[in-house]
Amino acid sequence: MGTVLVVAEIQNGAIREASYELVAAAQGIDGAEVNGLVIGSGVGELASEFASKGAGKTYVVDDAAAENYNVDVWSKAIKAAAEASGAELILIANTPTGWDVAPRIAAGLDCAFTSDCIKAGAGDGGYNFVRRVFNGKLDAEVSTSGRTVATMQPGAIAPFEGSSDGGAEAVSADLSAGAKFVEIKVAESTGVDLTKADVIVSGGRGVGDPEKFPEIIQPLADVLGGAMGASRPVVDAGWLDHPYQVGSSGQVVAPKLYIAAGISGAIQHLVGMKASNFIVAINKDPDAPIFEVADIGVVADLFDIVPALTEAVGAAKG
Amino acid sequence: MKVMVCLKQVPHQDARLDVNGDGTWIQEDNIKFEINSYDTYAVEEALKLKDAGSADEVIVVSIGPDRVTQALRTALGMGADRAIHVNDDAAAGTDALATAKILAAVAKEEGADLVFAGLMADDDNASAIPPMVAELLGFPSATGVVATDFSDASVKVERELEGGALEVVDLPKPCLIAIQSGANQVRYASLKGIMQAKKKPVDVKTLADLGVADSASAAQNKTTINKIYVPPKGDTAEILSGSTDEVVGQLVTKIKELGLL
Repeated sequence: MGTVLVVAEIQNGAIREASYELVAAAQGIDGAEVNGLVIGSGVGELASEFASKGAGKTYVVDDAAAENYNVDVWSKAIKAAAEASGAELILIANTPTGWDVAPRIAAGLDCAFTSDCIKAGAGDGGYNFVRRVFNGKLDAEVSTSGRTVATMQPGAIAPFEGSSDGGAEAVSADLSAGAKFVEIKVAESTGVDLTKADVIVSGGRGVGDPEKFPEIIQPLADVLGGAMGASRPVVDAGWLDHPYQVGSSGQVVAPKLYIAAGISGAIQHLVGMKASNFIVAINKDPDAPIFEVADIGVVADLFDIVPALTEAVGAAKG
Repeated sequence: MKVMVCLKQVPHQDARLDVNGDGTWIQEDNIKFEINSYDTYAVEEALKLKDAGSADEVIVVSIGPDRVTQALRTALGMGADRAIHVNDDAAAGTDALATAKILAAVAKEEGADLVFAGLMADDDNASAIPPMVAELLGFPSATGVVATDFSDASVKVERELEGGALEVVDLPKPCLIAIQSGANQVRYASLKGIMQAKKKPVDVKTLADLGVADSASAAQNKTTINKIYVPPKGDTAEILSGSTDEVVGQLVTKIKELGLL
Protein backbone atom coordinates (compact mmCIF):
# COMPACT_ATOMS: atom_id res chain seq x y z
CA MET A 1 0.00 0.00 0.00
CA GLY A 2 1.82 3.07 -1.25
CA THR A 3 5.46 3.92 -0.80
CA VAL A 4 7.06 3.75 2.63
CA LEU A 5 10.07 6.01 3.13
CA VAL A 6 12.44 4.68 5.78
CA VAL A 7 14.74 7.33 7.27
CA ALA A 8 18.11 5.90 8.29
CA GLU A 9 20.13 7.18 11.20
CA ILE A 10 23.92 6.97 11.28
CA GLN A 11 25.67 6.20 14.57
CA ASN A 12 29.44 5.82 14.89
CA GLY A 13 29.87 5.77 11.13
CA ALA A 14 27.33 3.00 10.45
CA ILE A 15 23.60 2.74 9.88
CA ARG A 16 22.18 1.88 13.27
CA GLU A 17 20.20 -1.25 13.99
CA ALA A 18 17.01 0.73 14.71
CA SER A 19 17.03 1.80 11.04
CA TYR A 20 16.93 -1.85 9.93
CA GLU A 21 14.04 -2.41 12.35
CA LEU A 22 12.22 0.32 10.40
CA VAL A 23 13.03 -1.54 7.18
CA ALA A 24 11.50 -4.70 8.70
CA ALA A 25 8.38 -2.75 9.69
CA ALA A 26 8.09 -1.28 6.19
CA GLN A 27 8.66 -4.67 4.50
CA GLY A 28 5.91 -6.10 6.70
CA ILE A 29 3.25 -3.73 5.36
CA ASP A 30 1.16 -5.47 2.68
CA GLY A 31 1.87 -4.23 -0.81
CA ALA A 32 4.22 -1.47 0.28
CA GLU A 33 7.08 -0.30 -1.90
CA VAL A 34 10.01 0.48 0.38
CA ASN A 35 12.33 3.43 -0.22
CA GLY A 36 15.20 4.60 1.98
CA LEU A 37 16.67 7.95 2.91
CA VAL A 38 20.19 8.57 4.19
CA ILE A 39 21.19 12.04 5.39
CA GLY A 40 24.77 13.05 6.16
CA SER A 41 28.08 14.16 4.73
CA GLY A 42 30.12 11.66 2.70
CA VAL A 43 27.42 9.02 3.07
CA GLY A 44 27.21 7.75 -0.53
CA GLU A 45 28.49 4.29 0.40
CA LEU A 46 26.16 3.98 3.38
CA ALA A 47 23.24 4.89 1.12
CA SER A 48 24.21 2.11 -1.33
CA GLU A 49 24.50 -0.30 1.57
CA PHE A 50 21.04 0.69 2.88
CA ALA A 51 19.63 0.29 -0.65
CA SER A 52 20.99 -3.27 -0.90
CA LYS A 53 20.04 -4.40 2.60
CA GLY A 54 16.30 -3.94 2.43
CA ALA A 55 15.59 -0.24 1.89
CA GLY A 56 15.47 -0.56 -1.92
CA LYS A 57 15.73 2.69 -3.86
CA THR A 58 17.46 5.02 -1.42
CA TYR A 59 17.43 8.77 -1.58
CA VAL A 60 20.52 10.46 -0.29
CA VAL A 61 21.10 13.98 0.96
CA ASP A 62 24.88 14.19 1.02
CA ASP A 63 25.95 17.66 2.10
CA ALA A 64 28.51 19.24 4.40
CA ALA A 65 25.57 20.98 6.11
CA ALA A 66 24.37 17.54 7.24
CA GLU A 67 27.64 16.42 8.82
CA ASN A 68 26.04 16.65 12.27
CA TYR A 69 22.38 16.26 13.09
CA ASN A 70 20.50 19.54 12.66
CA VAL A 71 16.74 19.74 13.11
CA ASP A 72 16.21 22.21 10.24
CA VAL A 73 18.48 20.34 7.80
CA TRP A 74 16.83 17.01 8.59
CA SER A 75 13.36 18.47 8.43
CA LYS A 76 13.98 19.92 4.96
CA ALA A 77 15.81 16.83 3.70
CA ILE A 78 13.03 14.47 4.80
CA LYS A 79 10.31 16.66 3.33
CA ALA A 80 12.22 16.81 0.01
CA ALA A 81 12.62 13.00 -0.05
CA ALA A 82 8.96 12.54 0.88
CA GLU A 83 7.98 14.65 -2.13
CA ALA A 84 10.47 12.90 -4.47
CA SER A 85 9.26 9.44 -3.45
CA GLY A 86 5.61 10.33 -3.07
CA ALA A 87 5.75 8.38 0.20
CA GLU A 88 2.45 7.77 1.95
CA LEU A 89 4.21 6.60 5.11
CA ILE A 90 7.44 7.98 6.55
CA LEU A 91 9.08 5.85 9.23
CA ILE A 92 11.65 7.27 11.66
CA ALA A 93 13.20 5.61 14.74
CA ASN A 94 12.06 7.06 18.09
CA THR A 95 15.56 8.14 19.15
CA PRO A 96 16.65 11.62 20.32
CA THR A 97 16.98 12.44 16.60
CA GLY A 98 13.62 10.92 15.72
CA TRP A 99 11.57 12.63 18.40
CA ASP A 100 13.26 15.94 17.61
CA VAL A 101 12.45 15.98 13.91
CA ALA A 102 9.55 13.62 13.16
CA PRO A 103 6.69 15.77 14.52
CA ARG A 104 8.01 18.74 12.53
CA ILE A 105 7.70 16.72 9.33
CA ALA A 106 4.07 15.84 10.10
CA ALA A 107 3.22 19.47 10.86
CA GLY A 108 5.07 20.65 7.74
CA LEU A 109 3.22 18.15 5.53
CA ASP A 110 -0.04 18.69 7.46
CA CYS A 111 -0.45 14.93 7.80
CA ALA A 112 -1.16 12.27 10.44
CA PHE A 113 1.41 11.48 13.13
CA THR A 114 1.98 8.82 15.74
CA SER A 115 5.05 7.93 17.77
CA ASP A 116 7.01 5.25 19.60
CA CYS A 117 5.04 2.46 17.90
CA ILE A 118 5.76 -1.20 18.47
CA LYS A 119 3.73 -2.48 15.48
CA ALA A 120 2.79 -1.01 12.11
CA GLY A 121 0.50 -2.24 9.36
CA ALA A 122 -1.73 -1.20 6.49
CA GLY A 123 -5.09 0.27 7.45
CA ASP A 124 -8.26 1.57 5.86
CA GLY A 125 -7.17 4.70 3.99
CA GLY A 126 -4.13 5.00 6.23
CA TYR A 127 -2.12 2.85 8.59
CA ASN A 128 -2.64 0.99 11.85
CA PHE A 129 -0.22 1.05 14.77
CA VAL A 130 0.16 -0.25 18.30
CA ARG A 131 1.93 1.93 20.85
CA ARG A 132 2.42 2.03 24.60
CA VAL A 133 0.75 4.69 26.74
CA PHE A 134 0.87 5.55 30.45
CA ASN A 135 4.53 4.52 30.69
CA GLY A 136 3.88 1.01 29.42
CA LYS A 137 0.91 0.26 31.65
CA LEU A 138 -1.53 0.25 28.71
CA ASP A 139 -1.34 -0.36 24.95
CA ALA A 140 -3.21 1.68 22.37
CA GLU A 141 -4.35 0.73 18.86
CA VAL A 142 -4.07 3.80 16.71
CA SER A 143 -5.18 4.37 13.12
CA THR A 144 -4.25 7.21 10.82
CA SER A 145 -5.92 8.58 7.71
CA GLY A 146 -3.95 9.57 4.64
CA ARG A 147 -0.28 10.36 4.58
CA THR A 148 1.41 9.47 7.86
CA VAL A 149 4.63 10.11 9.73
CA ALA A 150 5.35 7.53 12.44
CA THR A 151 8.23 6.79 14.78
CA MET A 152 8.99 3.24 15.93
CA GLN A 153 10.37 2.22 19.31
CA PRO A 154 13.94 0.92 18.94
CA GLY A 155 14.16 -2.77 19.83
CA ALA A 156 10.42 -3.42 19.40
CA ILE A 157 10.83 -5.61 16.31
CA ALA A 158 13.71 -7.62 14.84
CA PRO A 159 15.90 -5.82 12.28
CA PHE A 160 15.56 -6.76 8.61
CA GLU A 161 18.36 -9.09 7.55
CA GLY A 162 17.54 -9.76 3.89
CA SER A 163 18.65 -7.95 0.79
CA SER A 164 17.04 -5.73 -1.82
CA ASP A 165 17.71 -4.30 -5.26
CA GLY A 166 18.09 -0.60 -5.50
CA GLY A 167 20.62 2.15 -5.79
CA ALA A 168 21.22 5.52 -4.24
CA GLU A 169 19.65 8.58 -5.80
CA ALA A 170 20.60 12.10 -4.80
CA VAL A 171 17.79 14.41 -3.79
CA SER A 172 18.39 18.12 -3.57
CA ALA A 173 16.93 20.33 -0.90
CA ASP A 174 17.44 23.81 0.48
CA LEU A 175 19.34 22.98 3.66
CA SER A 176 19.52 26.45 5.20
CA ALA A 177 19.10 26.22 8.97
CA GLY A 178 18.21 28.50 11.86
CA ALA A 179 19.49 26.09 14.50
CA LYS A 180 23.28 25.70 14.67
CA PHE A 181 25.10 22.57 15.84
CA VAL A 182 27.81 23.50 18.35
CA GLU A 183 29.28 20.29 19.76
CA ILE A 184 28.65 16.90 21.33
CA LYS A 185 29.65 16.60 24.98
CA VAL A 186 30.49 13.05 25.95
CA ALA A 187 29.42 11.93 29.43
CA GLU A 188 32.12 12.67 32.00
CA SER A 189 33.65 9.86 33.96
CA THR A 190 32.51 10.11 37.56
CA GLY A 191 33.84 7.03 39.30
CA VAL A 192 30.42 5.40 39.51
CA ASP A 193 30.70 2.70 36.85
CA LEU A 194 27.72 0.41 37.11
CA THR A 195 28.68 -1.42 33.93
CA LYS A 196 31.44 -3.31 35.80
CA ALA A 197 29.34 -4.47 38.77
CA ASP A 198 28.30 -8.13 39.09
CA VAL A 199 25.29 -7.17 41.17
CA ILE A 200 23.21 -4.00 40.96
CA VAL A 201 20.45 -3.12 43.39
CA SER A 202 18.37 -0.27 41.98
CA GLY A 203 15.68 1.75 43.70
CA GLY A 204 12.85 3.63 42.05
CA ARG A 205 10.16 6.14 42.90
CA GLY A 206 8.66 3.50 45.21
CA VAL A 207 11.56 4.01 47.63
CA GLY A 208 9.78 7.27 48.31
CA ASP A 209 12.45 9.17 50.22
CA PRO A 210 16.08 10.10 49.41
CA GLU A 211 17.23 8.98 52.86
CA LYS A 212 16.00 5.45 52.23
CA PHE A 213 18.66 4.89 49.57
CA PRO A 214 21.62 4.81 52.01
CA GLU A 215 19.39 3.15 54.65
CA ILE A 216 17.73 0.39 52.62
CA ILE A 217 19.10 0.04 49.08
CA GLN A 218 22.86 0.58 49.57
CA PRO A 219 23.18 -2.02 52.38
CA LEU A 220 21.75 -4.78 50.15
CA ALA A 221 24.12 -3.75 47.35
CA ASP A 222 27.01 -3.76 49.86
CA VAL A 223 26.28 -7.17 51.34
CA LEU A 224 26.10 -8.63 47.80
CA GLY A 225 29.36 -6.93 46.85
CA GLY A 226 27.52 -4.91 44.25
CA ALA A 227 26.62 -1.35 43.36
CA MET A 228 23.55 0.81 43.90
CA GLY A 229 21.59 2.14 40.94
CA ALA A 230 18.38 4.11 40.40
CA SER A 231 15.65 4.81 37.90
CA ARG A 232 15.14 8.14 36.21
CA PRO A 233 12.51 9.67 38.54
CA VAL A 234 14.92 9.24 41.46
CA VAL A 235 17.65 11.16 39.64
CA ASP A 236 15.20 13.77 38.32
CA ALA A 237 14.06 14.42 41.89
CA GLY A 238 17.68 15.02 42.88
CA TRP A 239 17.74 12.07 45.32
CA LEU A 240 20.79 10.56 43.59
CA ASP A 241 23.23 11.93 41.00
CA HIS A 242 22.99 11.11 37.30
CA PRO A 243 25.82 8.49 37.31
CA TYR A 244 23.52 6.19 39.33
CA GLN A 245 20.84 6.29 36.64
CA VAL A 246 20.16 3.05 34.79
CA GLY A 247 18.34 3.48 31.50
CA SER A 248 18.57 4.68 27.93
CA SER A 249 19.65 8.15 29.03
CA GLY A 250 21.88 6.82 31.84
CA GLN A 251 23.99 3.69 32.04
CA VAL A 252 23.11 0.55 30.10
CA VAL A 253 24.02 -2.41 32.30
CA ALA A 254 24.02 -6.20 32.15
CA PRO A 255 25.13 -7.55 35.56
CA LYS A 256 24.86 -11.16 36.73
CA LEU A 257 22.08 -10.12 39.10
CA TYR A 258 19.86 -7.03 38.87
CA ILE A 259 17.46 -6.31 41.72
CA ALA A 260 14.82 -3.66 40.97
CA ALA A 261 13.09 -2.35 44.09
CA GLY A 262 10.12 -0.01 43.75
CA ILE A 263 10.70 0.43 40.00
CA SER A 264 7.59 0.15 37.83
CA GLY A 265 9.57 -0.40 34.63
CA ALA A 266 9.16 2.53 32.23
CA ILE A 267 10.55 1.70 28.78
CA GLN A 268 13.54 3.95 29.22
CA HIS A 269 14.59 2.00 32.33
CA LEU A 270 13.95 -1.45 30.80
CA VAL A 271 16.17 -0.61 27.84
CA GLY A 272 19.01 -0.02 30.29
CA MET A 273 18.80 -3.30 32.24
CA LYS A 274 16.85 -5.97 30.37
CA ALA A 275 20.07 -7.62 29.14
CA SER A 276 20.98 -8.51 32.77
CA ASN A 277 21.63 -12.23 33.35
CA PHE A 278 19.07 -12.54 36.16
CA ILE A 279 16.48 -9.98 37.21
CA VAL A 280 14.57 -9.83 40.50
CA ALA A 281 11.73 -7.30 40.71
CA ILE A 282 10.16 -6.21 43.98
CA ASN A 283 7.06 -4.06 43.57
CA LYS A 284 3.70 -3.63 45.28
CA ASP A 285 1.85 -3.33 41.94
CA PRO A 286 1.35 -6.78 40.35
CA ASP A 287 0.70 -5.10 36.98
CA ALA A 288 4.01 -3.20 36.96
CA PRO A 289 5.73 -3.68 33.56
CA ILE A 290 9.00 -4.55 35.37
CA PHE A 291 7.62 -8.05 36.00
CA GLU A 292 7.61 -8.70 32.25
CA VAL A 293 11.38 -8.54 32.04
CA ALA A 294 12.06 -10.06 35.49
CA ASP A 295 12.97 -13.70 36.08
CA ILE A 296 11.63 -13.64 39.61
CA GLY A 297 9.04 -11.25 40.99
CA VAL A 298 7.99 -10.41 44.52
CA VAL A 299 4.68 -8.58 44.84
CA ALA A 300 5.23 -6.93 48.21
CA ASP A 301 6.36 -3.82 50.01
CA LEU A 302 10.07 -3.32 49.38
CA PHE A 303 10.44 -2.03 52.94
CA ASP A 304 9.51 -5.53 54.17
CA ILE A 305 11.56 -7.52 51.68
CA VAL A 306 14.78 -5.56 51.15
CA PRO A 307 15.95 -5.20 54.78
CA ALA A 308 15.05 -8.86 55.46
CA LEU A 309 16.97 -9.95 52.37
CA THR A 310 19.99 -7.86 53.42
CA GLU A 311 19.96 -9.58 56.79
CA ALA A 312 19.48 -13.07 55.32
CA VAL A 313 22.29 -12.61 52.79
CA GLY A 314 24.54 -11.37 55.62
CA ALA A 315 23.64 -14.44 57.71
CA ALA A 316 24.22 -16.80 54.75
CA LYS A 317 27.71 -15.37 54.30
CA GLY A 318 28.33 -16.23 57.95
CA MET B 1 10.79 38.99 26.20
CA LYS B 2 7.40 37.31 26.30
CA VAL B 3 7.59 33.67 27.34
CA MET B 4 4.81 31.13 26.83
CA VAL B 5 4.70 27.74 28.54
CA CYS B 6 2.48 24.91 27.22
CA LEU B 7 0.97 22.86 30.04
CA LYS B 8 -0.94 19.62 30.00
CA GLN B 9 -2.99 18.36 32.90
CA VAL B 10 -2.70 14.57 33.10
CA PRO B 11 -3.96 11.80 35.41
CA HIS B 12 -1.88 11.64 38.59
CA GLN B 13 1.03 9.21 38.28
CA ASP B 14 -0.53 6.97 40.92
CA ALA B 15 -4.11 7.29 39.64
CA ARG B 16 -6.07 4.12 38.97
CA LEU B 17 -6.11 3.36 35.27
CA ASP B 18 -9.41 1.80 34.27
CA VAL B 19 -10.40 1.65 30.63
CA ASN B 20 -13.49 3.78 29.86
CA GLY B 21 -16.86 2.58 28.52
CA ASP B 22 -16.03 2.74 24.81
CA GLY B 23 -12.55 1.36 25.40
CA THR B 24 -10.70 4.25 23.81
CA TRP B 25 -9.18 6.02 26.82
CA ILE B 26 -9.08 5.72 30.58
CA GLN B 27 -11.99 6.46 32.83
CA GLU B 28 -11.34 10.04 34.01
CA ASP B 29 -14.16 10.56 36.52
CA ASN B 30 -13.16 10.73 40.17
CA ILE B 31 -9.44 10.42 39.61
CA LYS B 32 -6.82 12.94 40.62
CA PHE B 33 -5.07 15.08 38.00
CA GLU B 34 -1.79 16.94 38.11
CA ILE B 35 0.46 19.01 35.86
CA ASN B 36 2.39 16.73 33.51
CA SER B 37 5.74 16.18 35.25
CA TYR B 38 7.82 17.25 32.22
CA ASP B 39 5.82 20.50 32.03
CA THR B 40 6.66 21.42 35.63
CA TYR B 41 10.32 21.62 34.56
CA ALA B 42 9.27 23.80 31.61
CA VAL B 43 7.44 26.19 33.95
CA GLU B 44 10.49 26.33 36.22
CA GLU B 45 12.78 27.11 33.27
CA ALA B 46 10.51 30.02 32.30
CA LEU B 47 10.34 31.32 35.88
CA LYS B 48 14.15 31.24 36.13
CA LEU B 49 14.25 33.64 33.17
CA LYS B 50 11.78 35.90 34.96
CA ASP B 51 13.86 35.82 38.15
CA ALA B 52 16.92 36.78 36.09
CA GLY B 53 15.03 39.76 34.66
CA SER B 54 15.17 38.53 31.07
CA ALA B 55 11.51 37.53 30.76
CA ASP B 56 8.98 40.34 31.01
CA GLU B 57 6.02 38.06 31.23
CA VAL B 58 5.42 34.32 31.66
CA ILE B 59 2.11 33.09 30.22
CA VAL B 60 0.94 29.53 30.88
CA VAL B 61 -1.42 27.94 28.35
CA SER B 62 -3.48 24.80 28.63
CA ILE B 63 -6.25 23.11 26.69
CA GLY B 64 -8.94 21.06 28.41
CA PRO B 65 -12.16 21.02 30.41
CA ASP B 66 -12.91 23.00 33.62
CA ARG B 67 -10.57 20.85 35.76
CA VAL B 68 -7.58 22.33 33.88
CA THR B 69 -8.08 25.60 35.82
CA GLN B 70 -6.46 23.90 38.79
CA ALA B 71 -3.25 23.16 36.86
CA LEU B 72 -3.12 26.74 35.62
CA ARG B 73 -3.68 28.11 39.14
CA THR B 74 -0.81 25.94 40.38
CA ALA B 75 1.50 27.39 37.72
CA LEU B 76 0.33 30.91 38.60
CA GLY B 77 1.05 30.09 42.24
CA MET B 78 4.58 29.11 41.25
CA GLY B 79 5.03 32.59 39.75
CA ALA B 80 3.63 32.69 36.19
CA ASP B 81 1.97 36.05 35.41
CA ARG B 82 -1.21 35.00 33.65
CA ALA B 83 -2.92 32.02 32.11
CA ILE B 84 -4.86 31.18 28.98
CA HIS B 85 -7.32 28.32 29.20
CA VAL B 86 -8.65 26.97 25.91
CA ASN B 87 -11.91 25.41 27.05
CA ASP B 88 -14.02 24.17 24.17
CA ASP B 89 -15.88 20.87 23.71
CA ALA B 90 -14.68 20.77 20.09
CA ALA B 91 -11.09 20.59 21.42
CA ALA B 92 -11.76 17.48 23.51
CA GLY B 93 -9.80 14.56 22.11
CA THR B 94 -7.90 16.52 19.48
CA ASP B 95 -4.91 14.65 18.02
CA ALA B 96 -1.37 16.03 18.39
CA LEU B 97 -1.45 18.10 15.21
CA ALA B 98 -4.80 19.73 15.95
CA THR B 99 -3.61 20.44 19.50
CA ALA B 100 -0.40 21.97 18.14
CA LYS B 101 -2.45 24.19 15.83
CA ILE B 102 -4.39 25.53 18.81
CA LEU B 103 -1.21 26.23 20.78
CA ALA B 104 0.45 27.85 17.76
CA ALA B 105 -2.60 30.11 17.37
CA VAL B 106 -2.25 31.21 21.00
CA ALA B 107 1.51 31.83 20.58
CA LYS B 108 0.84 33.94 17.48
CA GLU B 109 -1.90 35.95 19.15
CA GLU B 110 0.35 36.61 22.13
CA GLY B 111 3.45 37.31 20.03
CA ALA B 112 5.54 34.93 22.16
CA ASP B 113 9.31 35.32 21.75
CA LEU B 114 10.02 32.02 23.40
CA VAL B 115 7.88 28.92 23.89
CA PHE B 116 8.63 26.26 26.49
CA ALA B 117 7.00 22.84 26.71
CA GLY B 118 7.75 19.51 28.36
CA LEU B 119 9.42 16.82 26.23
CA MET B 120 6.45 14.46 26.53
CA ALA B 121 3.20 13.86 28.36
CA ASP B 122 2.97 11.26 31.11
CA ASP B 123 -0.36 9.96 29.73
CA ASP B 124 0.06 9.52 25.98
CA ASN B 125 3.90 9.42 26.03
CA ALA B 126 3.86 10.90 22.53
CA SER B 127 6.57 13.64 22.43
CA ALA B 128 4.67 15.05 19.48
CA ILE B 129 3.32 18.51 20.10
CA PRO B 130 6.29 20.82 20.83
CA PRO B 131 8.17 20.36 17.51
CA MET B 132 4.81 20.65 15.69
CA VAL B 133 4.10 23.99 17.35
CA ALA B 134 7.59 25.16 16.35
CA GLU B 135 7.09 24.08 12.74
CA LEU B 136 3.72 25.84 12.55
CA LEU B 137 5.27 29.02 13.95
CA GLY B 138 8.39 28.77 11.77
CA PHE B 139 10.54 28.68 14.94
CA PRO B 140 13.67 26.55 15.33
CA SER B 141 13.28 24.01 18.12
CA ALA B 142 15.15 21.62 20.36
CA THR B 143 13.80 18.73 22.43
CA GLY B 144 15.03 16.90 25.52
CA VAL B 145 16.76 20.05 26.74
CA VAL B 146 18.52 19.82 30.11
CA ALA B 147 20.35 23.18 30.16
CA THR B 148 19.83 26.62 28.63
CA ASP B 149 22.17 29.60 28.26
CA PHE B 150 20.50 32.78 27.01
CA SER B 151 22.08 35.69 25.18
CA ASP B 152 20.37 38.61 23.42
CA ALA B 153 19.73 37.05 20.04
CA SER B 154 19.93 33.33 20.72
CA VAL B 155 19.88 30.56 23.27
CA LYS B 156 22.41 27.78 23.58
CA VAL B 157 20.76 24.56 24.72
CA GLU B 158 22.04 21.16 25.74
CA ARG B 159 19.95 18.24 24.43
CA GLU B 160 20.14 14.88 26.15
CA LEU B 161 21.19 12.05 23.83
CA GLU B 162 21.59 8.36 24.60
CA GLY B 163 24.09 7.16 27.20
CA GLY B 164 24.44 10.51 28.96
CA ALA B 165 25.95 12.38 25.98
CA LEU B 166 24.77 15.93 25.32
CA GLU B 167 24.33 17.82 22.06
CA VAL B 168 24.87 21.57 22.23
CA VAL B 169 22.75 23.58 19.78
CA ASP B 170 22.43 27.32 19.28
CA LEU B 171 18.88 28.47 18.50
CA PRO B 172 18.16 32.00 17.25
CA LYS B 173 15.16 33.63 18.94
CA PRO B 174 12.23 33.34 18.63
CA CYS B 175 12.39 29.60 19.27
CA LEU B 176 10.76 26.68 21.06
CA ILE B 177 12.44 24.57 23.74
CA ALA B 178 11.05 21.22 24.93
CA ILE B 179 12.46 20.49 28.38
CA GLN B 180 13.60 17.08 29.61
CA SER B 181 12.53 15.98 33.09
CA GLY B 182 15.16 16.63 35.76
CA ALA B 183 16.47 19.72 33.95
CA ASN B 184 16.14 21.88 37.06
CA GLN B 185 14.83 21.94 40.62
CA VAL B 186 11.13 22.73 40.35
CA ARG B 187 9.88 25.24 42.91
CA TYR B 188 6.70 24.73 44.89
CA ALA B 189 3.89 27.22 44.88
CA SER B 190 4.33 29.17 48.14
CA LEU B 191 1.34 30.12 50.29
CA LYS B 192 1.91 33.73 49.30
CA GLY B 193 2.15 32.66 45.66
CA ILE B 194 -1.12 30.78 45.90
CA MET B 195 -2.86 33.79 47.45
CA GLN B 196 -1.49 36.08 44.72
CA ALA B 197 -2.47 33.57 42.03
CA LYS B 198 -6.13 34.05 42.90
CA LYS B 199 -5.90 37.62 41.59
CA LYS B 200 -4.01 36.73 38.44
CA PRO B 201 -6.01 36.61 35.18
CA VAL B 202 -7.06 33.33 33.56
CA ASP B 203 -8.45 34.10 30.10
CA VAL B 204 -10.84 31.45 28.85
CA LYS B 205 -10.90 31.06 25.08
CA THR B 206 -12.74 28.97 22.52
CA LEU B 207 -11.41 27.68 19.20
CA ALA B 208 -13.50 30.37 17.47
CA ASP B 209 -11.82 33.08 19.59
CA LEU B 210 -8.49 31.82 18.25
CA GLY B 211 -9.72 31.55 14.66
CA VAL B 212 -9.07 27.80 14.47
CA ALA B 213 -12.60 26.37 14.85
CA ASP B 214 -12.47 25.03 11.28
CA SER B 215 -8.89 23.82 11.29
CA ALA B 216 -8.05 22.50 14.74
CA SER B 217 -11.04 20.73 16.27
CA ALA B 218 -11.25 17.02 17.06
CA ALA B 219 -13.36 16.70 13.87
CA GLN B 220 -10.14 17.37 11.92
CA ASN B 221 -8.23 14.53 13.59
CA LYS B 222 -6.03 12.50 11.27
CA THR B 223 -4.97 10.14 14.05
CA THR B 224 -7.47 8.17 16.14
CA ILE B 225 -7.12 5.89 19.16
CA ASN B 226 -9.43 2.94 18.49
CA LYS B 227 -8.78 0.89 21.57
CA ILE B 228 -6.68 0.82 24.73
CA TYR B 229 -6.08 -2.23 26.87
CA VAL B 230 -3.75 -3.82 29.39
CA PRO B 231 -0.89 -5.30 27.33
CA PRO B 232 -0.96 -9.08 27.01
CA LYS B 233 1.56 -10.58 29.39
CA GLY B 234 4.61 -12.03 27.70
CA ASP B 235 7.10 -14.24 29.50
CA THR B 236 6.29 -12.81 32.86
CA ALA B 237 8.30 -13.37 36.02
CA GLU B 238 7.87 -16.35 38.31
CA ILE B 239 6.09 -14.68 41.23
CA LEU B 240 7.29 -15.88 44.64
CA SER B 241 4.63 -16.38 47.27
CA GLY B 242 4.64 -16.93 51.00
CA SER B 243 5.59 -14.99 54.08
CA THR B 244 8.41 -12.46 54.01
CA ASP B 245 10.77 -15.06 55.51
CA GLU B 246 9.79 -17.68 52.95
CA VAL B 247 10.19 -15.28 50.04
CA VAL B 248 13.55 -14.06 51.33
CA GLY B 249 14.67 -17.70 51.78
CA GLN B 250 13.84 -18.47 48.15
CA LEU B 251 15.73 -15.35 47.01
CA VAL B 252 18.82 -16.34 49.01
CA THR B 253 18.71 -19.84 47.46
CA LYS B 254 18.55 -18.28 44.00
CA ILE B 255 21.45 -15.91 44.73
CA LYS B 256 23.50 -18.94 45.86
CA GLU B 257 22.61 -20.80 42.64
CA LEU B 258 23.88 -17.82 40.68
CA GLY B 259 27.21 -18.25 42.45
CA LEU B 260 27.03 -14.84 44.05
CA LEU B 261 27.14 -16.05 47.66
